[in-house]
Amino acid sequence: MKEIRIVVAGNPNTGKSTLINAISGAKLQVGNWPGVTVEKKEAELTFFDYKLKFIDLPGAYSLSPFSIEEKIARDFLFTGAYDVILCVVDSTNLERNLYFVIQLMELGKPLVLALNMFDEAKKLGYKIDVKLLEGLLGVRAVTTVATKGEGIDELKRALVEVAERKILPKRLSYGEDLDFILERLRVKLREMNPELGKEFHQIGVLLKILEGDRELIELLKIKVSEEEIRELTEHIEKVHGEDIETFLADVRYGLASGVVKQVLSKPEIRKITLTERLDRVFLNRYLGIPVFLLLMWILFKLAFDIANPYVDFVDETISGPVAKWSGALLEVVSAPSWLSSLILDGVITGVGIVLSFLPVIGMVMLLVTLLESSGYMARAAFLMDRIMRTFGVQGKSFIPMLLGFGCNVPSVYASRVLTEEKERRLTIFLVPFMSCGARLPVYVVFISAFFPERSGTVLFFLYVLGILVAISVGIIFHRLFYKGVSSPFIMELPPYRFPTLRDLWVHTWMKLRHFVIKAGTWILAINIVIWVLLNLPWKPENPQESLLGKIGSAISPIFKPLGFGDWASASSLLAGSLAKEVVVSTMAQIYEAERPKEENGEINFLEDLKDIVINFGAKTKEAVVNVFSTFGIATLEPEGPEEAEGLLGRLQGHFTPLSALSFMVFVLLYWPCFVYGIATKAELGSFKLYGQAILLHTAIAWIVSFLIYQLGRLLGF
Amino acid sequence: MKLAELNSGAKARIVSIRGKSGIKKRLQDMGILPGEEIVVQKVAPLGDPIEVIVRGYSLSLRKGEAEDIEVEVLE
Repeated sequence: MKEIRIVVAGNPNTGKSTLINAISGAKLQVGNWPGVTVEKKEAELTFFDYKLKFIDLPGAYSLSPFSIEEKIARDFLFTGAYDVILCVVDSTNLERNLYFVIQLMELGKPLVLALNMFDEAKKLGYKIDVKLLEGLLGVRAVTTVATKGEGIDELKRALVEVAERKILPKRLSYGEDLDFILERLRVKLREMNPELGKEFHQIGVLLKILEGDRELIELLKIKVSEEEIRELTEHIEKVHGEDIETFLADVRYGLASGVVKQVLSKPEIRKITLTERLDRVFLNRYLGIPVFLLLMWILFKLAFDIANPYVDFVDETISGPVAKWSGALLEVVSAPSWLSSLILDGVITGVGIVLSFLPVIGMVMLLVTLLESSGYMARAAFLMDRIMRTFGVQGKSFIPMLLGFGCNVPSVYASRVLTEEKERRLTIFLVPFMSCGARLPVYVVFISAFFPERSGTVLFFLYVLGILVAISVGIIFHRLFYKGVSSPFIMELPPYRFPTLRDLWVHTWMKLRHFVIKAGTWILAINIVIWVLLNLPWKPENPQESLLGKIGSAISPIFKPLGFGDWASASSLLAGSLAKEVVVSTMAQIYEAERPKEENGEINFLEDLKDIVINFGAKTKEAVVNVFSTFGIATLEPEGPEEAEGLLGRLQGHFTPLSALSFMVFVLLYWPCFVYGIATKAELGSFKLYGQAILLHTAIAWIVSFLIYQLGRLLGF
Repeated sequence: MKLAELNSGAKARIVSIRGKSGIKKRLQDMGILPGEEIVVQKVAPLGDPIEVIVRGYSLSLRKGEAEDIEVEVLE
């Protein structure tokens, strides 16, 4: 079977990934481009006697890169191995899309255009003469509606035909002067690089040399005469009165608008589009921001109110029936007690942790994809940019940060909406200062023990403190490391569009799979390490004798100036690096030494299965009720933790209200949990950012808690 | 006049673009070139960034970038 390699390029917001999803169905492979964190999608499918291999490039406006995405696109188009280029074009926005098409034509490779969103263009009353367009450019053009799967088969046929017959696009005329210069440059290039094949003589390469794209010249390993180039560019500047970059953009846009004038006819009376109507509200001077905040509130509520009952369901199923069955099974095979403990508390709990993140990540990704593909994400960036850029990030960062209040882990994934690497890293770095749901059980226990009358005020103080710390750190980082220079913000506001269910599903499913594969094993391993620390030497008489207790005792003096210098607090904080709610359960374990053992009830497989199903139904009902209940956000409503009762009294013996406050502040700010760390590794490719976060966040936590405790003491609390 | 100084609804013709080479190049790649018509569609509620229509599509940029675009007002 013959293989045809198809590289898919196009402007952002042209429905490129929808088209890829429509072409490949479920056969999409998602990875990263080597060395960077940009998604790489590939798909392989059979079409008659051909094996079609699609490689999806990141969206690009030009072959002169402005972002990592565009650099990848340029590098692959100039140096990658492929047979044909498929360029996805937004039919409602022909001129700017053709500017990119013209650059692709310069590569001298077989090229097929997908005139996508053709239905939208028709609805606007646009008439596009496709035959004329094909004739003018010398390429095949197929009209498609990716959301409905229209034109896909014809597109595949066109790709095979163009690749097989090696139909090359026309060599457009760039004007007498430039054509002459290019010819001169070609001769010179051949002289200086006799060993290079003729693919290097394409005008795409020549124009890049003229433009002075050093990075690419180096990548292609071609020798050029700087002096010759300078002479040519000076000539252009003198004759045309424009610098070379402006001149080239002018020539290409000139060609694009020339083609558009011939092939496109627009209706005389322009209809007011849905996008304009919607933006009158969404971007309104007075309504824009309130509507945005309302939408964000709904987003947050939907994400966590729907996900949380299922998180509980996973938790209850794993720690209930699954643990029970495994326990019984281990008894049957008469496993030694250390092994059952390792499997039950180490492995099964670890698997439970991994699975319990799935509902949250799934919901968040679903909603973020919805925002992104509907076009609202760009509006959110537009509205919030003024505020967000004061601390070195941009408008889009608002959303991952907001989601951080529910859980920091999906925020890391949601930060993919930021394409600028620096802004993405800074956003991810600041997210843990948003007080997530897992910290709430800690606050609840301490507030009930020390501030029962002022619970609301203290809780509010903690959340606001987190935000203030994030803003201060952002501003300092921005000034210190980036000298206050923001990355530019030149962003298209695409028309509003309905995303397809398939797109939402594919995107969400990819993320979930990615999380389980990339993060699952790490979480499991760390959970086992924590188990080892808690249980070795085997069966410690007293929790203080365990490894965790010993380490806790050793580091506890560090916390003395913060008001909680005992080994129990230190050990709980250490264990809390797995997930912050663990701080409470570890304290409970330490203070109560022997917890009532759960009775292993009768094992009745069918009965248990029935319970699981009933529980699932109950949780679904809860999720629905949550969404429609207007009162409060479920995640912020403290549940009474069962282990709390005996614990409260013990805590009152070990803490004063001031040291309790200092402790809560420390829990809020210190060491972001491991799952967050693993998510950053999965997304950014290394643990570097997590390492920095551990050090800096813990240092900040120490300083803030120190200030609160010492100032409090000075004030006589 | 600078693009940044226009009110929303104003229509203008681009005269020249200054600014750092990378940003200037990007603005040109997005179709902002001398001679083109540009309409200021909206100013964000907090006064910055702005939305412009150029070559039939919407683009948003910060006032800082719009400072570097010299225009002449039409009508």
